[in-house]
Amino acid sequence: MICVNDVTKIYPLAKGSSVTAVDRASLEIHPGDFTIVVGRSGSGKTTLLNLLAGLTRPTSGNVTVDGTNLWTLTDDQQSRLRNQTLGFVFQFPSLLPYLTVFENLILPTCLQPKPSQNGVRERASECLQKVELYDKREVYPRQLSAGQQQRVVIARSLMNQPKILLADEPTSNLDEKTELEIMDLFANLHASMGVTIVMVTHTQQLISYSNHAVTMAAGKIINDARR
Amino acid sequence: MSLFELAWKSISGYAFRSSVVALCAFLVAAFALFTTLVMRGAENSLRLAIDRLGADIVVVPEGAEAKVESALLMGIPARLWMPQEKMEKISTIDGVDTVSPQLYLATLTGASCCSVSDMFMIAYDPQTDFTVQPWLQRTIGGGLRLGEVVGGSYISATEGKQNIRVYGYLVTLKSNLEPTGTGLDQSMFLTFDTAYDIARKSGSQAESPLVIPPGSISAAMVKVQPGSDPREVAVRIMQSVPGVTPIESTNLFQSYRKQMTSLLKSILVILGLTWGLCVVLIGLVFSMAANERRKELGVIRAMGAGRRYVFQSLLAEASILAFFGGLSGIILAVAAVYLFRHLIMASMEIPFLLPSPVSLLLYIGGGLALALFSVNLAALFPAYKISRQEPALAMRE
Repeated sequence: MICVNDVTKIYPLAKGSSVTAVDRASLEIHPGDFTIVVGRSGSGKTTLLNLLAGLTRPTSGNVTVDGTNLWTLTDDQQSRLRNQTLGFVFQFPSLLPYLTVFENLILPTCLQPKPSQNGVRERASECLQKVELYDKREVYPRQLSAGQQQRVVIARSLMNQPKILLADEPTSNLDEKTELEIMDLFANLHASMGVTIVMVTHTQQLISYSNHAVTMAAGKIINDARR
Repeated sequence: MSLFELAWKSISGYAFRSSVVALCAFLVAAFALFTTLVMRGAENSLRLAIDRLGADIVVVPEGAEAKVESALLMGIPARLWMPQEKMEKISTIDGVDTVSPQLYLATLTGASCCSVSDMFMIAYDPQTDFTVQPWLQRTIGGGLRLGEVVGGSYISATEGKQNIRVYGYLVTLKSNLEPTGTGLDQSMFLTFDTAYDIARKSGSQAESPLVIPPGSISAAMVKVQPGSDPREVAVRIMQSVPGVTPIESTNLFQSYRKQMTSLLKSILVILGLTWGLCVVLIGLVFSMAANERRKELGVIRAMGAGRRYVFQSLLAEASILAFFGGLSGIILAVAAVYLFRHLIMASMEIPFLLPSPVSLLLYIGGGLALALFSVNLAALFPAYKISRQEPALAMRE
């Protein structure tokens, strides 16, 4: 489903220096996988996730999704692929503060040139019910706790019924209890919807939720294990 | 949720930033429209005043050009005289078709025998006149009889339904002329017979008599023969008739035109500076806003918005702000011009005529277009830059 082939990502820094965030990484994500990428801060996990999603261009190597090299696509094609195939959960608060929970939820369905609005309201209600926040649909993000906001983000990521869910340290800003709730939510979604999940975290213990664990250090994949 | 709805919600969400951009659009549109309305109003007014005079050349006593201009343009009464023989000499000059004399008179200031104070009066000779009578023929179907007058658009009866008391003499207001925005709107037109009748009776009826020196006229209106060049005819008049100044109608109100041109230049400089500053300020605000919203825009791109969508949504925000800011500015400018036009005329010493509804709509359209262009121009670069940024980079701290 997703293949990372010998990918390197180098960020140029000031005064001609550079930093290699991902160094010749190769990885395969299969349909239905619950992949967790672990590593310390600065190990290149987030960059790897961004490369998988086409959010940044690799310096060398390539990334294919369902056999299509992401960087042979035009910007419009890439955007459509992200919109229809991928769902995102970010580490930072990513709800738009000036939209209500409901409006945030339907946002991904409005971003393409000719969005289809068929059944959008029903699907949004369904997604909110999945994360148990249907009664908060008319409130603004600032009126929600951090955990509730993250659940809304998860609901939003499901709006376009993506095949793959990409999550970048989705629990790092949450307390332990809320972290467990969110991880259980991911596990349920994986089990009930069969969605492929790729999650980046620095918490080793969360590997227990996955069937595929990838460990990174200094930009390299040092371990790639399946259970 | 359409792109415009999203832009609208974003505008509401960032009220302060949005207000600054809207305020700039407001300033640009208000200032530009106000200036245009005033300057075009003055131009139209001058043009109409010249048309109303209907003469190719106006001949006045030497040195009285400024007085005549002030009288015709601002309604400041002028008393100037030259011998009637000058007119007879002018009529013999090659290229002159018709010459008609006029008397420039004024009512008394604050006198009980005049129900209007210090009003400019123009007396014409019905035998030769080619300026006032054609209009009278068109509107009231004939000329004025003894004791009848027509007034500029601001003249109204003060005694009964139709009468105005001048030097203790009751004249009948037959009709009003279309507005020109000049002093002609506050002037009264009457025949020589009426003027002389008022002068004759004013000795006994008025606090101070109306004096018309015998054998004198104030100005001579000249129509040139078809095919003749008014400039050449004016030169011939100057050479042949001493003690008079011929003014071609196209050169009439030159001092006002110069004053308006210098005023226009100053206003254009200020307008240019304001516009430049506003565009820079809007550009800065948009750059700051785009920077502040990098993460948000990165998230939107990650969720499937293309570069074009981000670019268009930022320009949609700019357009909405420009539209509402510009519209507010336009409403204020139009209201200010309509409500304070007399004050503007008096303080800037220029004539002014309100534009026709069609012209006003065109000016409003132009003002809105300028606001939209300015804001979009300023937002163009920041919007383009942020839309080209890699989503991953945009989302990084």
